[in-house]
Amino acid sequence: MKGLLLKDFYMLKKYCRAYLLIAVVFIAVSFFSTENMFFVFYPCIFCSMIPVNLLGYDERSRFLQYSGTLPYTKAQFVSGKYVIGLLVQLAVLLATGIAQAVRMKMNGVFDFGDLAEIMLMTLVLSAVTSSVCLPFMFKWGVEKGRIAYYVTIGMICALSVVASGLFSGDWETAVPLDTVLPVLCLVGVGIYALSWYLSIVFFKKREVR
Amino acid sequence: MNALEIKDLTKTYPGFVLDHLNLTLPCGCIMGLIGENGAGKSTTIKLILDILHKDSGTVTILGKDNQEDILLTKEDVGVVMDEVGIPECLTVQQVGKVMKNTFRHWDEEEYQRLTEKLSLPDKKPFKDFSRGMKMKLGIAVAMSHGARLLLLDEATSGLDPVVRDEVVEMFSDFTRDETHSVLISSHIVSDLEKLCDYVAFLHQGKLLLCEEKDRLLAQYGIIRCTAEQLGELNPSAVKHKKETPYGVEAMVLRDFVPESMHISPISIEELFIFMIKEAK
Repeated sequence: MKGLLLKDFYMLKKYCRAYLLIAVVFIAVSFFSTENMFFVFYPCIFCSMIPVNLLGYDERSRFLQYSGTLPYTKAQFVSGKYVIGLLVQLAVLLATGIAQAVRMKMNGVFDFGDLAEIMLMTLVLSAVTSSVCLPFMFKWGVEKGRIAYYVTIGMICALSVVASGLFSGDWETAVPLDTVLPVLCLVGVGIYALSWYLSIVFFKKREVR
Repeated sequence: MNALEIKDLTKTYPGFVLDHLNLTLPCGCIMGLIGENGAGKSTTIKLILDILHKDSGTVTILGKDNQEDILLTKEDVGVVMDEVGIPECLTVQQVGKVMKNTFRHWDEEEYQRLTEKLSLPDKKPFKDFSRGMKMKLGIAVAMSHGARLLLLDEATSGLDPVVRDEVVEMFSDFTRDETHSVLISSHIVSDLEKLCDYVAFLHQGKLLLCEEKDRLLAQYGIIRCTAEQLGELNPSAVKHKKETPYGVEAMVLRDFVPESMHISPISIEELFIFMIKEAK
């Protein structure tokens, strides 16, 4: 799989500079913004879409067909995308974490527990985003998969609106973050693993003509 | 040992059936797979590599069923598809590095030698290559990892005549080692005629024939005569005929034609066209 990762790294360097630049800008903004968590979460979530982008380039160059002639299994091909996605997310997360730690130190409010909470939350959110997206792409290809992804995200949003309507109390008091976070992490890991597995199953069944 | 054995290979798509294909390619030989567009040549090659899922039949590559340990088998098979799917941003150098981490027996020196021989620029991205250059890079990759079998799908298309001749020579050299074999599909039948020991004709998913090229050329010929002269021949001698304003042109079996009649040699291309017309 080393060859696949190296190929993706070359593609990442060439095609995804804009992603990394935008991530750097958002990390910089998050450094100065103390109230809005959006700027903290967004770079990682944004970069979690890089594997989808790389898959799109593979489709366009017909690498999907070509990879079938190389000594790689379809599972290895899928895993390459998940590994590169994870590496990118961890790198962006590290940069975000460093920026946040420096900000906290400068403001005299550094708390490792708080920082870890923010970082874990960011990682779970970004991992879940790519987890929802990738199986569709591997099943139907990037174009059709993108439509299926938008439909699913729409449904999740609609469901969450309905769910929040059913609960009228104070969220933060009823569900304290430090209790929920470990559970959320486990759920995030579970979703990522399930997504990885489903992508392999879908891609094995798909005939790339 | 046979390099490739295909038995009753079947694949169905809407509007297309590859129908119980049987082919055997002995080691040390080159087989040309000839067929019109949509005849099933690329489908056959993809089925051999298990890129497409077969409906039924078996494929044995270098003595191993393609359902068992296909990854190990692919180490021994060099493939050039009709469209080389190398990512567009990669350069020749980067492709070399990716392949070095892909194939166990990647031969860096051989890759360097071939890319130089085929005049491929080191630092130009693949997207800026002409179709011919793309095919040449595909060929260089396929021949740089110690493959014993080459599967080439329209590998000579897009190449100019001089380079095509050079590449055909490279394939021919490849089979000087008697453990090496080539299955090549091409529309350019003249290349296959130069290169192949065996030819297989595919038409609408059916194998029309698979035979030694020299035997075919010795077996068949063309006569040009009047309709009356043709009528005097043994009917089983005439495999196909075409009427022209100047008379009749017929593909015949040489053994059934009297020696007094002049028989012209037939080319593989003519033989293929006659057979396709007969099949229609």
